[in-house]
Amino acid sequence: MADELDKLAQEENPALVLARLIEENEERAPGIRQGFLPIETNWFDRVFISVVLWVALSLFWFRFLEPLGLSIWLGVALSLIAAIYIIREG
Amino acid sequence: MHSNRLGWLLLAPTMIILFFFGVVPFFYVIWVSFHQWNPFAANPNMVFNWASNYRQVVFDAQLLASLGVTFAFVFFAVVSELILGYLLAQAFMKDFPGKAFFRTIHTLPLIMAPIIVGSIWKLMTTPSIGIIPSLVQSWFGLDLNIGQSAAAAFITTVVMDVWHWTPLVTLSLIAALVSLPPDPFEQAQIDGANKRQIFWHITLPMIAPAVVATVFIRLMDALRTVDEVLMLTGGGPGSATRYIGVHIFKEVFPRTNYGYGSAISVVVLYMTIVICWLLYVGLIAPRNTRKG
Repeated sequence: MADELDKLAQEENPALVLARLIEENEERAPGIRQGFLPIETNWFDRVFISVVLWVALSLFWFRFLEPLGLSIWLGVALSLIAAIYIIREG
Repeated sequence: MHSNRLGWLLLAPTMIILFFFGVVPFFYVIWVSFHQWNPFAANPNMVFNWASNYRQVVFDAQLLASLGVTFAFVFFAVVSELILGYLLAQAFMKDFPGKAFFRTIHTLPLIMAPIIVGSIWKLMTTPSIGIIPSLVQSWFGLDLNIGQSAAAAFITTVVMDVWHWTPLVTLSLIAALVSLPPDPFEQAQIDGANKRQIFWHITLPMIAPAVVATVFIRLMDALRTVDEVLMLTGGGPGSATRYIGVHIFKEVFPRTNYGYGSAISVVVLYMTIVICWLLYVGLIAPRNTRKG
């Protein structure tokens, strides 16, 4: 790291280089990861996103799909599958 | 370990109060929203009706109209408060004669109860005795009657909200502006940046967390505005100012329809949380992620 710092310091502002190296080597908060979702999340974020999607899908289902004869339980099943996928892979 | 136990002990009273006054009512409202419950009906008991109240919510034309005017009200009120609050905060950063007096006067609306604000504005906007219709008539030649004109009523509620809550925005933005380090501004001036460039590239990014936090507070407050508007217009004329809080009030109290009112409250809470979360993810989370 010292060699890298010396080398970069010759090219750029040393304070900025140090700040960047600290940032790059800093440990991330435990449990946070990047899955297929566009943001870094922990397990609570993924559960929250799943609940938000479940409620949105249910309201959409009540308004547009249930009048066509599709049971809300189908929507609940789809929401559960989506929730499991988001919590595991998101 | 000892300090950990002491910490929990000190936190316990707050957590117990929060549990009984925040968490329990929250789950109780969700529980009630899955019931048909009118204590003054032939059957005063709570009857579990699955999600029928939520089915009713998505088909309720009056509720959807209420949501529309609520979002318009929130948008105009919060944006106006933010712009005006920032300009006032910048003004209060400079020294001028009577600054302390003006700052105190400007903060007074904050300490007034919303129902009093509604009463004052009702007096000020009542045709023939109110000062505002009189001034509007003499300055612009217009008849301002919030009991007849939907647009006048809507604009008056927005102006009243701006008058009441802009000081809060000003105070939080003053706190943010005061805490900014002077170095980046001096460097920008040396580099020849103009005022607009300094605002967009230095001031705004540095006060963004304070701005977003203020927007969260105002957004949540504006979405549940009831008493001021109920006092000023009663939700009228027609349903021009029947904002969602007023709609829930009229659904729950005069009609004692607690189950359906709870379902609407849960949906509004859901929308508030989602809007704030999207704002957080869009504006604040990327900054924290970059910082690690």
